[in-house]
Amino acid sequence: MTAENRISLSRHENKLTKSVKMYLRDIKGVIGLFILLVFIVMAIFAPVIAPYSPDTMTDDVLQSPSLNHLFGTDHLGRDLFSRVIFGTRISLSVGFVAAGLSAIIGVFIGSFSGYYGGATDDIISKVIDTFLMIPAFFLILIIVSIFGSNIMYIMLVIGLTTWPRNARLMRAQALSIKEKTFITVARSTGESNMRILFGHVIPNGIFPVIANSALQMGGAILTEASLSFIGLGDPNLTSWGKLIYQGRPYMTYAPWTIVIPGIFVVLAVLAFSFIGDGLQFTFNPKNKGEK
Amino acid sequence: MYRLSFLCSFLEVKGLSSLGRFIIRRTLSIIPMVLLIVAINFFIIHLAPGNPAQLISGLEQPSPEVIEALEEQYGLNQPLIVQLGLYYRNIFQGNLGYSFIYGTSVNGLIFERAGATILLTVTAAIIAFIIGTLIAVWVGRRKTKVLDSIFSVLAYIFYAMPSFWLALVLILTFSSTFKLFPTSGMFNVRESYEGFAKIGDVLYHLALPCATLALIQIPVFFRVTRSSIDQVHQDEYITTFTAIGISRKKIFKKYVLKNAILPTITIFGLTLGYAISGAALVEIVFAWPGMGRLMLDAVFRRDYNLLLGIYFVMAVCICLAILITDIVYALVDPRIRY
Repeated sequence: MTAENRISLSRHENKLTKSVKMYLRDIKGVIGLFILLVFIVMAIFAPVIAPYSPDTMTDDVLQSPSLNHLFGTDHLGRDLFSRVIFGTRISLSVGFVAAGLSAIIGVFIGSFSGYYGGATDDIISKVIDTFLMIPAFFLILIIVSIFGSNIMYIMLVIGLTTWPRNARLMRAQALSIKEKTFITVARSTGESNMRILFGHVIPNGIFPVIANSALQMGGAILTEASLSFIGLGDPNLTSWGKLIYQGRPYMTYAPWTIVIPGIFVVLAVLAFSFIGDGLQFTFNPKNKGEK
Repeated sequence: MYRLSFLCSFLEVKGLSSLGRFIIRRTLSIIPMVLLIVAINFFIIHLAPGNPAQLISGLEQPSPEVIEALEEQYGLNQPLIVQLGLYYRNIFQGNLGYSFIYGTSVNGLIFERAGATILLTVTAAIIAFIIGTLIAVWVGRRKTKVLDSIFSVLAYIFYAMPSFWLALVLILTFSSTFKLFPTSGMFNVRESYEGFAKIGDVLYHLALPCATLALIQIPVFFRVTRSSIDQVHQDEYITTFTAIGISRKKIFKKYVLKNAILPTITIFGLTLGYAISGAALVEIVFAWPGMGRLMLDAVFRRDYNLLLGIYFVMAVCICLAILITDIVYALVDPRIRY
């Protein structure tokens, strides 16, 4: 038993290193990962990196970018560079939490539906299809405006409205995996359905969901930015979208107040789509061999 | 239900083609979907804390009598499921109710604003479709690595842009700096143009919002066409054609293009279907008198009927777009049979 385990483990490791090598071969994926790492460092060490406190108001109102203020200042004389650095925290956490929630819900519902099949699957598939059709942004807009724009609500609502795509991916995986021989073997050795589901089906089929989650992180950051821009962002926190919202009235004399935070949104979304596409490429069974 | 099956059997007697039956079956199948979407939205809106009657009254502290009268008038004192039933009945009669904040019928409000939204979104979708597909075909034919990389990176970048931000940047560049285009609105309010001058004026105002939407949608068309050209190139029959010596140009024009263009039809249909929600932010930035602003007002001031009405129209548009795309697909692609 142990020997067998070791063999499967080493094989797994082999597969992992192979996947990593495969991923690193794609330049876009590497760039995406690099941008993301820079942002994560910015978010964690924000107080160290930022030269000023993001909320200290000064008399230097709407100063253009200079050596003193790298990104200039806003209408209350606050240093925009520091505000953008601190904004990374909010925008990145929205991406991670919302997409994470979406992935968890999607994996559970999708794998259940695909693995058990039958009438449950029919109903769940219909629900997934219907939810996929709903324009999520408008639904999020309604929910946030009704229940309040606390950041927790925003993350929760984005997660709760974007899971159907993950569920669909996971369901397709579960449908094909459950026909495989090793599942039949597991079943014949008396493993319970739950163990098969969590021990075999989900671990073997989760890769497309991971790739899609990277894309959804970018999507969540965009959604949060849009909400903040309309004025429905968390009133106590400053995300990149909020910075654009605050800079808008002054944009004709101080274009940097909207252009710079926007560039950060673009970079983050770009990084996540590079990573997502890179992962998709890596996990695509068609690309097993050479590129 | 009986009536529906009766209708179907009647049509079969008439000897409809399989395509005709497919169209009818699909048309009927979107009805429950729209109703489900409306129901989800209905319950979310009515789960909201706060008393709708108080919002309708427009008073900070309306007296209990006022509340009661308003609840009676709008049927707000009935159980939710009854209210939903009443709402469905109204929809089937073509009545989307009465807007609290505007004081007119929701039908009228939506009808009034729909034109501007349709003008903006359809123009943008057509432009994006043409440009995105053309670039993809152009790049796909040359197969030069550099061109391909440049355009695919550009596609990634524009795809990552928040629409409202691109709108602001375009305003900064083309309105504030170069003073080429107006910043907002659909008409020049200081002049009252007639005839061609009026059309010109609208087009002049349309330029920037339309460019914003198109720039964000072009990458979608580009990527879909591009990958679909690649896919067709890998098909075995293309290899065979190359092997027997048909010129690359001929293969591309006659076989690759025709097959590769199919998926873009789907994207075009979906772009139009999601137009209302997709264009809302751009409409808001440019003060375009479409449904975006209406939607925002309805959200902020919790105009239940207006919200539900817009959502209903949105759901119908999406379902219709999917339906029409399926039908066009079936007509264009002879491999699809029902």
